[in-house]
Amino acid sequence: MSVSLTVMREIAPSARVAPDAVIGPYCVIGPRVTIGPGTVLTRRIIINGHTIIGSANRIEEGCILGTSPQDLKYSGFPTVLIIGHHNHLGPRVTAHIGTEFGGYLTRIGDNNVLLDGCHVAHDCYVEDRATLGKNVLLGGHVLIETGAVMEDQAAAHQFTTIGCFSRVLARTPVRRDVPPFTRFGSLYGSKQPSVVGIHEQGINSAALSQSEEKELRHALQEVFDDESALQTKIEQLVNMGVEGAAAVLCEFCQRSLQGVFGRYNELYRGQMPPQALKYLPPEVLALIRRQTP
Amino acid sequence: MPEVSRQAVVEKGAQLADDVKVGPFVYIGSCVRIGPGCVIDSGATVTGQTVIGAKCRIFPLAVVGSAPDGSDQMGTCTIGQANTIREHVTINAGCDEPTQIGDDNLIMIGCLVGAGARIASHCVLNNCTQINPGARIDDYVWTSAFTSVLPGGSVGAYTFLVGYTGVETDAPPFAMVQGYPFRVRGVNSERLRRCGFGDDDIRALKEAFRQLYNGSADQINEPALRKMQDRKDLNPHVVRLIEHIQAGLAKRQSK
Repeated sequence: MSVSLTVMREIAPSARVAPDAVIGPYCVIGPRVTIGPGTVLTRRIIINGHTIIGSANRIEEGCILGTSPQDLKYSGFPTVLIIGHHNHLGPRVTAHIGTEFGGYLTRIGDNNVLLDGCHVAHDCYVEDRATLGKNVLLGGHVLIETGAVMEDQAAAHQFTTIGCFSRVLARTPVRRDVPPFTRFGSLYGSKQPSVVGIHEQGINSAALSQSEEKELRHALQEVFDDESALQTKIEQLVNMGVEGAAAVLCEFCQRSLQGVFGRYNELYRGQMPPQALKYLPPEVLALIRRQTP
Repeated sequence: MPEVSRQAVVEKGAQLADDVKVGPFVYIGSCVRIGPGCVIDSGATVTGQTVIGAKCRIFPLAVVGSAPDGSDQMGTCTIGQANTIREHVTINAGCDEPTQIGDDNLIMIGCLVGAGARIASHCVLNNCTQINPGARIDDYVWTSAFTSVLPGGSVGAYTFLVGYTGVETDAPPFAMVQGYPFRVRGVNSERLRRCGFGDDDIRALKEAFRQLYNGSADQINEPALRKMQDRKDLNPHVVRLIEHIQAGLAKRQSK
């Protein structure tokens, strides 16, 4: 057997790969994939489906992007996975395309860090500057807001929302929405996880003005000192006329309370979530309109 | 002729049915037999004495039939029909007894099926589920993320394992099970309903669970168990539950 020194990779002829993107050995790029300039795919990365990757991302060994969703109802509609710019996807990260009954789209925004073995399931939206630790699992239809952090081996239930600048502690099963600017977890495995404190680094990285921060801290103290009578406490705060970050917090909590088992996005089960219409590429929208009268 | 990518390696002696599709960078060992309609996606590895039934899908970078950790023997692995084996799954081949997987299972990303484990049919193993060597999984079991069934553990039919659960002994059938050491949290009624169980069956099972468990798997209410055994008018599913519990107790006493 002769040894070939040509680098082995398989890029479908119709794939659109920017000329300065780096595609390492043993990568497999499917026919409907777009890869933006400056994106680096190290080695053994498999990208299938209708996947659009922006510029300057770093994607490491063993990542598999754009394969079909792990949902038994999925029947093969050509849905989309969009990855923005400047993301870091560690080794063995997997992300799936969306489903036709959940908004046709899975999206990872900009400047996110996803460490080893993270899984971004169908119809998830990861906004910007989020950090997902090792082996973090997102169930379907999860929304990760800007600046949220999930520590190692945390897992999010379907339709949950992780609020902006919050932190989910390691090995926490998230079964309801995590409010912004809080730390969420259970210190002992068997206890039902809940808000355990304020996420100081989150408040720092949100770069709030002094008065805004003061108001937010007051609201957090007020609401989560103990979580009983959440509804009335939030209504009181809203009536007082909070602004800025505190208003974001109140609005988030009110939405969660409207939802099913504390999960607001569950109200969009089987429907198009509002984010989908915002981000879906026009050609896919046209295809959807043609298929669904 | 099977459709094999020219960048794949298929060893001499491997038997591939006519319409098998093999993607690039796949490795298929010499003692492997793959049934019709299977798709082996890019970068997957199938080795050992592995038999795969019809219409299975193996996703990228999954490893099927490799030797278990710390061993270099070639083992056997039998996989039934219409199974979906997702990305990064590892299925080890068993040396002393074969690893067996039934039909129509969905094994999600990052799962491990150890050497000699046996999985029946229609199961869904969620991401990162660890089925350790020698474990047994019955029909229609669903697991959540990060659950593990430890060596020698077993899970009865129709049982649901809540996330992060560890099963070290025998989880009963029809139950919802949580924690490590696990506790029985109730009857998996939604799943039973979807599988065509009647309301009477579910009510009978709920009543039986209420009598048999004090909220903990290790504290089976034995007087209640004995009383139930003597009854002649039991629902057949409750009889099955009692038989499973008795078999588990007998196994533990003989150790």
